[in-house]
Amino acid sequence: MYGGGNTFEATKFDNLAKEDPIKLDEFEARIAGGEKIEPADWMPVLYRKQLIRMIEQHAHSEIIGALPEGTWITRAPGFKRKLALMAKVQDEVGHAQLLYSAAETLGKSREDMMQDLINGRSKYSNIFNYPALTWADSTIISWLVDAGAIVNQLANSKGSYGPYCRALERICVEESFHLKYGHHAVIHLATGSKIQRQMVQEALNRWWPPMMHFFGPPDRISVHTEVLMKWKVKMATNDECRQQFLDMYVPKIWELRLSVPDPNLQKNEETRQWEYTEPDWEEFKRVINGDGPCNKERLAVRRMAEERGRWVRKALLTPDAKYVTPLA
Amino acid sequence: MDKVINKIALKELLYKTADDLLILGHRNSEWTGIGPLLEEDIAFSSMAQDKIGQSLAIYELLHDLGEADPDTVAFMRNAEQFHNCKFVELPIGEYEFSLVRHFLYDHSILLRFQQLSTSSCQPLAQIARKLVGELRYHIMHADLFIKKLGTGTDESISRLQTTLEQAIPFALGVFERSPQESDLISDLIFTGEDDLYTRWCHEITKVIESTALVLPQHNLSEAKTGGRIGQHTPHLQPLLDEMAEVLRLDPSTDW
Amino acid sequence: MALDSLDPRIKRCNLQEQRTKDFNSQPLDQLPTYEVFIQLKETKAFEHAGIVHAATPDMAFLFAKEQFSRRYTCTGMWVVPSDRVWVTAFSDLEENIYDQIDEMPAQEAGPEEDYEVFHLIQRGKQHQHVGRVTANSHLQALQKAKVRFNAGKPILNVWLIKINDLQTTNLEDHVIWSTLHEKTHRDVISYRAGDKLKQFKEKQQPDG
Repeated sequence: MYGGGNTFEATKFDNLAKEDPIKLDEFEARIAGGEKIEPADWMPVLYRKQLIRMIEQHAHSEIIGALPEGTWITRAPGFKRKLALMAKVQDEVGHAQLLYSAAETLGKSREDMMQDLINGRSKYSNIFNYPALTWADSTIISWLVDAGAIVNQLANSKGSYGPYCRALERICVEESFHLKYGHHAVIHLATGSKIQRQMVQEALNRWWPPMMHFFGPPDRISVHTEVLMKWKVKMATNDECRQQFLDMYVPKIWELRLSVPDPNLQKNEETRQWEYTEPDWEEFKRVINGDGPCNKERLAVRRMAEERGRWVRKALLTPDAKYVTPLA
Repeated sequence: MDKVINKIALKELLYKTADDLLILGHRNSEWTGIGPLLEEDIAFSSMAQDKIGQSLAIYELLHDLGEADPDTVAFMRNAEQFHNCKFVELPIGEYEFSLVRHFLYDHSILLRFQQLSTSSCQPLAQIARKLVGELRYHIMHADLFIKKLGTGTDESISRLQTTLEQAIPFALGVFERSPQESDLISDLIFTGEDDLYTRWCHEITKVIESTALVLPQHNLSEAKTGGRIGQHTPHLQPLLDEMAEVLRLDPSTDW
Repeated sequence: MALDSLDPRIKRCNLQEQRTKDFNSQPLDQLPTYEVFIQLKETKAFEHAGIVHAATPDMAFLFAKEQFSRRYTCTGMWVVPSDRVWVTAFSDLEENIYDQIDEMPAQEAGPEEDYEVFHLIQRGKQHQHVGRVTANSHLQALQKAKVRFNAGKPILNVWLIKINDLQTTNLEDHVIWSTLHEKTHRDVISYRAGDKLKQFKEKQQPDG
């Protein structure tokens, strides 16, 4: 589950001056022609660097994203929900595995990425720094956060890097289950008893602001990503993704007679654009820099998992088996 | 059912098997997202899901025999009404404990289902035959990890050895005889816990002998029993409360 | 300082707040990777699915089973250490890699062995198994593969794997997938709630 769009480094165009102009032309022609780049192909240093950065953030978002919903694994109500939530959280771990693998084909090892996550050198999606206070929060995450992720990931699956696109295609198929399961669970709460309706409304109120942050700052204040768009690393702008999400899911929220906690939210029928209260981007920055309600816990849990598992990984290492960059 | 059999004895067998799988599945699900290696996290979670699915299949059979629906039976009873062995309710501990339990317990459940696949209780035999396939994977996984970590580093061997010694008396509690054991045997429902125990010893010994581990001397008289008659460790009730926390907010509604 | 968690599982771990900066004080414990191929139906070719990290081929197989075949159907799986796959260069669009064999450096002949041959016909897609050849070197295997399998679309990239390096499924182990189709809790189709929604909306109509 990843919203993307939030932490690209400002592109330094002078980096490209060092690239072989003929190879760069061929590379760009291939992308312009709709072809994929594969790991063994020549690619600009900047392309490799930004892809590693993006895929790694995405992978971290999956493994950290397993934690808020994991909060409810032992308490999911009944067999159906229990099995679904386990499978859902398991999928997030699986997605992390797929994405770390895709990033590995670019030359960074999984262990290196894991260390950068735990050291705080590498980011993950901000939304997972918020707590899942009740069961209803976990259902809102499964529905809306996964819905947002699909919007972003479907766009990115049309990108230029083969291994990332393949991972995303697989991920989108699995997340369609998450989305359906989440919607199913939310429908049951919203059409259920008074307690249930209240739970789900409160959860929606809590998750709406992080959800608006999910796609990243508005395009007008985002760092320039033109070259990343040209290279099909980034496929849709933050605002495009946000608008598409609102288009698809606000009506579904309203049909459940749930209210969105933004009095200004409405679709402007002339511009065909959603209008909304500007999210608090100062809070977004503060949380991404470590000061959210759960940042400390999320990283501490990940660190604990790594440390508790270290003896296992050590015992499994065999001296003759060597790590090489995987193929695809 | 082909002939009149002792329904009480049958239900007791079904309850203890389903309760074991439900509780162990719940325990093992706790590793989802925090496992020692991403791939193992995924594999362990699948096996936990399988176990919960297996328990559901047996609760459904119990429902057919007149018991309440699976959600009620699984999530609304108290500890003294549960028939699982004490072994499965113990907390997950460090990975070595969860692994050793997975190894010791899963060999017993595979053998149990292999036996039950020829049970005179047809619906049970059918479930058992079906689940033997997926349990084969669980055993392949358990055996491989015991072999690898049981021959790995000094640390991994010593962790497994210590855990094995602590776990064995609890594992023996799996084979606590039912009050109606003789009826189950004479009705050809099940060949009995003693027979299961003998086969189990054979299987686990084979694996342990291929490692640097030493299987502790064991005897059924040291078994941590009581689970089958509703006597549990202090760990079970809090787990059950946790499992039912959301459901109990409003038990009358559909979640 | 102990961290409180909303997650009862984490609470039981007695999580401590930690400085995270000193985490990389330990050497990396990076396991090698294995390439995984799966077969969805008996009539279909094995196709590359991705990689797993594992200690040994048998462990890679167990991991791959749950990472790449926990949904829908599966009738077989192969795994191979990533460094045991022999890979040609990628040809450019419309060029066939088999046409470049003459330019490849000669190889010393070894013992005759069986090789599985995999083709990539479109960038962005997965390598697919096309068949087996017996040869005394990778280059000879490629030459034989050209004769037997080079038809139709240009082949952009070829992988060759000695069958002795492949970990494959035993027939009797196929039962591990026998209940896969019943794992419907992982499927979209199990979560239809249209009726419930419709009922709810109908009930709302009069006053809304």
